Amino acid sequence: MTAAMMKDATRDVTRDVTRDITKGAAAAPVDATAPGGFALPPTMQILERGWLSSNNILFQGRDDTALVDSGYAIHAAQTVALVRHALRDRPLDRLLNTHLHSDHCGGNAALQAAYDCRTTIPAAEAAAVRDWDQEALSFAATGQQCARFTFTDTFTAGDLLQLGDLRWQALGAPGHDPHSLILYCAEARILISADALWENGFGVIFPELDGASGFAEAAATLALIATLDIGLVIPGHGAPFTDVRGALARATARLDYLAADPVRNAQNAVKVLLKFLLLERQRMPLADVPSLLSQMRLFRESNTRFLRQSDDAVAQWAVAQLRRVGAAAVEGDLLVNRDLP
Amino acid sequence: MSPPFDPRTHQGRLPSPCTSVCVMQPDTGLCQGCQRSIDEIIGWSSASEDRKRAIWLTLLARRAAMPAGGASGEPQP
Repeated sequence: MTAAMMKDATRDVTRDVTRDITKGAAAAPVDATAPGGFALPPTMQILERGWLSSNNILFQGRDDTALVDSGYAIHAAQTVALVRHALRDRPLDRLLNTHLHSDHCGGNAALQAAYDCRTTIPAAEAAAVRDWDQEALSFAATGQQCARFTFTDTFTAGDLLQLGDLRWQALGAPGHDPHSLILYCAEARILISADALWENGFGVIFPELDGASGFAEAAATLALIATLDIGLVIPGHGAPFTDVRGALARATARLDYLAADPVRNAQNAVKVLLKFLLLERQRMPLADVPSLLSQMRLFRESNTRFLRQSDDAVAQWAVAQLRRVGAAAVEGDLLVNRDLP
Repeated sequence: MSPPFDPRTHQGRLPSPCTSVCVMQPDTGLCQGCQRSIDEIIGWSSASEDRKRAIWLTLLARRAAMPAGGASGEPQP
């Protein structure tokens, strides 16, 4: 382990949420060109979104168009507007989801209504989507919304897909989500990494909160990514980046840090769940925070298994943590969202 | 406290202006949260740092010109 990695692994846990929430916007090396001087194939366009909505990757090939990931439900109208504007007169032929968290598939229903597009989801989620099993789909467990959508076909690890006249291979990327797939294009040296790898970290390791395994899977996913020849990573959130080795080193150090004491993962999850709620609502009565959090199954699981305090105490702690890093403020009786610089 | 964000003096890559309040306003053609136009949102990822700085300065001027309480989300990035 390098000195830099040691420093990263031992840093104050309260800084983690800042990194998670800014999702790689800060602390990146200075790079004069975007993205990182890497020339994106002309058939690809990145619609960089924020924290609440995932990035959307748009492909315009000779014969067909496609979109990977569709953002959060309450942003669906903007997602459709962005796609429509970027496609001009072309229809959206195909929609794919890396994984079915609400910030990656929340725009599916609106895009299907607008385009009647073929929709391809990870095969492991087919039954849950067909039956619209909201617990299996994680929406209820995280207190998030997702309009019901349908699918036409599925993809799985190892599948080859043609997107934007380029050949992409789907790779299994469990850890953040057990069924997540990421997309790799060897000829263009591009990885669409979803929430498996960001410039500074990765998505919450949700399976561990439920008592299932996630750290080992996340480590295997990072090890798999390390074997690929990659010039550009398009993460699920944050700007595309070229320093893949640096990102892998930071992610590995952070994963080691979380796995060493799963309480850290639970603490981080609670902060992220509260920040997501705050981003969605922008402001809410402070008094409502404990009940809003305890409606989320993953909050209750995190508390029962790892934090072991009253819901009120954990909620108060989470509020204090967000205030401390400047991710939230209290105005009178309200908890108000603050965007991090 | 860190100094307030200023796109003219910001060190390193300019952050996305997205505030996660992503609603296009029909009357202005601008996003309610970040005050970018649809072209400015779509073009953000492929824009040069100079272009990003120009977008930032434009949208900060738009935000400053808004009536008090008219903005949803935060006036800062």
